[in-house]
Amino acid sequence: MFPGSFPVGVRKPCKWVNLKNTSITTMPVKAIKTISSARNGVGAFILQCKRLDFHYCNFGGSSRGMLSFLTKDLAAFAREHPQIEIRVSPRPAKHPVIKGHYINGHEKAICVRNLEPSEIMKKTNILKEANGEKLKRTKKPVTSLNESVRGIWSPYHGDLRGV
Amino acid sequence: MKRLQLQRWSSTALSPRVRTNNRLHQQLYSTGLRLQSTVSPLQSESAISENVEDASFQNPDAMRHIRRAHKRKTQLQYPSPPVEAATQSAKLAALHARLYLPSRLPLQTLARTLVDASADSNVDFNNESLATLGHDLLANYTSEHLICTYPRLPLSVTFAAMYAYVGPKTLAAISKEWGIDNATVPGGEVDPGFLQFQRVAPGTAVEDISQLKSARPYADQKNWRMTVSSKIFYDDEFGDAIKGSVALGQGVTDETARATFVRAVLGAIYLHAGRPAAKRFFEQHILSRHLNISELFNFSQPARDLARLCARENFEAPVAKIVSETGRKSRSPVFVVGIFSGQDKLGEGSGSSLMEARERAALSALKGWYLYTPINPRVPSSMEEEGAAPWKPAHIDLGELLPTEDG
Repeated sequence: MFPGSFPVGVRKPCKWVNLKNTSITTMPVKAIKTISSARNGVGAFILQCKRLDFHYCNFGGSSRGMLSFLTKDLAAFAREHPQIEIRVSPRPAKHPVIKGHYINGHEKAICVRNLEPSEIMKKTNILKEANGEKLKRTKKPVTSLNESVRGIWSPYHGDLRGV
Repeated sequence: MKRLQLQRWSSTALSPRVRTNNRLHQQLYSTGLRLQSTVSPLQSESAISENVEDASFQNPDAMRHIRRAHKRKTQLQYPSPPVEAATQSAKLAALHARLYLPSRLPLQTLARTLVDASADSNVDFNNESLATLGHDLLANYTSEHLICTYPRLPLSVTFAAMYAYVGPKTLAAISKEWGIDNATVPGGEVDPGFLQFQRVAPGTAVEDISQLKSARPYADQKNWRMTVSSKIFYDDEFGDAIKGSVALGQGVTDETARATFVRAVLGAIYLHAGRPAAKRFFEQHILSRHLNISELFNFSQPARDLARLCARENFEAPVAKIVSETGRKSRSPVFVVGIFSGQDKLGEGSGSSLMEARERAALSALKGWYLYTPINPRVPSSMEEEGAAPWKPAHIDLGELLPTEDG
């Protein structure tokens, strides 16, 4: 045995305990109960926008673009995105609004007064692609639940190098 | 191996079945037929005579009013939404598309998976049977994956990993990630896209709702010691005591209802789209989730367990050696200790004391042993695929160190 090395898991003989008569029961490994965490898109991808509400006014001039969008473009949009539930309802004497409802329970609303149908389509796409979280700056290009493959650098390993 | 054609199966599961004509049912539902599909059923004499009466109305406005009243009446007649409502629900269609469910799984069945047994006690219209099938599939697929991928995993950790993948908490979280909302109160008039179940009354002790149905002798003695291996025989796939179903009218918890729904979806996919689709759905939604199995271990005596393991496997007795150290006399020393069996290094750990570093090294050595994975592990159910390579028996290890008397 090296100096500074010691055996693992061996009881030192003890004067006042007769080892032969004591029963040592190993505690089997216990387990910690957790739940697995979701990684959307690793297996299945679930679109986070689950509902879009379109509100319009039949009288107001600010809804003119919205009315044209609803009659001409919305059906095609709905056909392309069957996973989004779409509701259209009047909101008299108010500006037109699109509201997105998300799986995390949040909702986002965009006012589309006086906008052209093509601009409204852009706003609808913004709501469709959002995930319901508040917008935040992404600083790291990759975020992952997995451990780093290379590990963390340790000062205690490898040879010492002179400066 | 040729795949079973399940098309016929699914059509019988959906066929326009009427209620069994026993006397109780005739009494309860003598007003109309309740059907499992929207396919036109075989008309009974009473139904035909009703249609003849309806046809006598000529005024379209009056007809519309009557039809609406009639619809309302049929909706309220049963505890869960009628089958016709499934095709009308935007929520349900969106859910079908969001989960990329196979087109062979009809909306009517998806609506049925959302009706819990506590909302509608009729087994032909609630999700109980689908959930039973889905539960067995989930348990089978997950356990074979865990056992074949980690053949040396201790049983208690296997139970915990099963719980982490397909336990009720996880399944409830999955249903939330699918965007399922609860109906406030179940009923025939509710949109079939909502999950319908009767909640337990607030203040009810959840443990007392379902009675213990374990086959274990003296199962009610909570404080008695239970061996881990006895859990394989007596308990469920998570090593917990088997509970019976909830008594009628008691209601279920949100978690239970959601877990039942997810199981029922898998069962429905299996019935309608077949085994490969169910397996794919399982891999995409359950197995793709992140679980670090090495974090599930909880050792109490890692050094002693390692010594015993080496003795069992006829390795040389493990010896801890200092690999490197710094600041021994300072207030923040760091020791790096490796555990060696002969020339082989089993594990390494660092800590601010020699004992701490040694424990961590033993821990890493034990985890290295228990988390062994064969290269390209195959599961038995992969043989069900067409053109599968001949089966080679999977490596199954001796297992963990069991508690022994007389150390």
